Amino acid sequence: MVRLDELHPEEAASMRNAAPRFGDFDHDATPWITPPPLAESTICLVTSAALHRRDDVPFRFGDSGFRLIPDDVDPNDLVQSQVSVNFDRTHYQRDMNVVLPIDRLRELHGAGEIGGVSPVHFSVQGASPDAKTFEASAADMANRMRELGVDAAMLAPV
Amino acid sequence: MPFPLGRPLGVADNPEFQRDVLRSALQLLETATEPTIADYPHEAPDGNGDGVWACSIELPTPEMSELESSVRTEVDLLMPRYQEARRTRGRTTFGMSGATVDQIDKVVSFAIAIAEGSGFEQVPAVASGPNWRHRMPMLVRFVAEDLRALYQEAVTSEAGSQPPSQRDIHTWIFQETALGRLLKQIGQQITDHDDPRLRLMRGFIIPEGFWEGDHAFGGVPAGMTTDEYVRSIRPYLIGENT
Repeated sequence: MVRLDELHPEEAASMRNAAPRFGDFDHDATPWITPPPLAESTICLVTSAALHRRDDVPFRFGDSGFRLIPDDVDPNDLVQSQVSVNFDRTHYQRDMNVVLPIDRLRELHGAGEIGGVSPVHFSVQGASPDAKTFEASAADMANRMRELGVDAAMLAPV
Repeated sequence: MPFPLGRPLGVADNPEFQRDVLRSALQLLETATEPTIADYPHEAPDGNGDGVWACSIELPTPEMSELESSVRTEVDLLMPRYQEARRTRGRTTFGMSGATVDQIDKVVSFAIAIAEGSGFEQVPAVASGPNWRHRMPMLVRFVAEDLRALYQEAVTSEAGSQPPSQRDIHTWIFQETALGRLLKQIGQQITDHDDPRLRLMRGFIIPEGFWEGDHAFGGVPAGMTTDEYVRSIRPYLIGENT
């Protein structure tokens, strides 16, 4: 993630104020899982850039749901319903892979560095003041990943 | 991944760098034996680039008294470069509001009507036609973003040129273009609106540091946390109730 001291002071202060709330999560009951070797693992992407297909229901402000993005999606079919204006869109506008590195993942698969690419990736809207609202969606996404045969997910945070 | 916010893979159009970022993150799966935080050791190749970029498209000095014609002139001047970028990239990010780029006339009419005081309750009558994908008032925010997308895709169309940083692009839009004046005028309409809940949306249109006065997002009422306030006004902003 971006360093706090590279954000606008107002944004950085807001993030610092929000940070203690992340301590509310209990990870102690979550076992550590060792995935298969990368060369045998199927990888899925999760982006918090609020990307979705043009015909999908757009993300609403405060929306803690997720949208599905097929691995073979036409990049021109993706739009971004992220409400925040305080991040750099210029690189994403030139190259989708900056926030959803589908092409790069396929290349790693082609080179044998990973075992497979999930047929579906996931998108959420990251600009939420309350991370706990994502708990239900996270569990749903994890179940879907299991059904898809995914071994590990890579989050591209926006 | 210590890159500017909005660029978790670092930099556009650099597959080698992006692959290395992705590979470095995934390799933690093979080396970590417990929850681990590791810093990616390289800066993005273009750094942050603040202050290096300059728009190569000459736009006339915007006239506040003729805001609509100034914006339409800018759109006309930028459109060929936008179309060129769209052809080259095979994609556009325009369309968040639901409008298509051939409906740009309606998008501009929408924004001008809001800036001139048509209110935030109804889609302006002059902007009927597009299949708007959001409700009022939040639709205003996505109309603003579509206009920004057209401008930004146009001015970043030159292959190989130094791309603008986030700060560069905000500065250009809000200090040098009629679009920036239009967005600030919408911000003023939000400020003057009877319903103070609307002010949060000002911060979704005008970045922090570019709104003269209080914070772009306005404030949180005394006695409420930010979470409580945002949760309480969310239905109003997305048009679920008033």
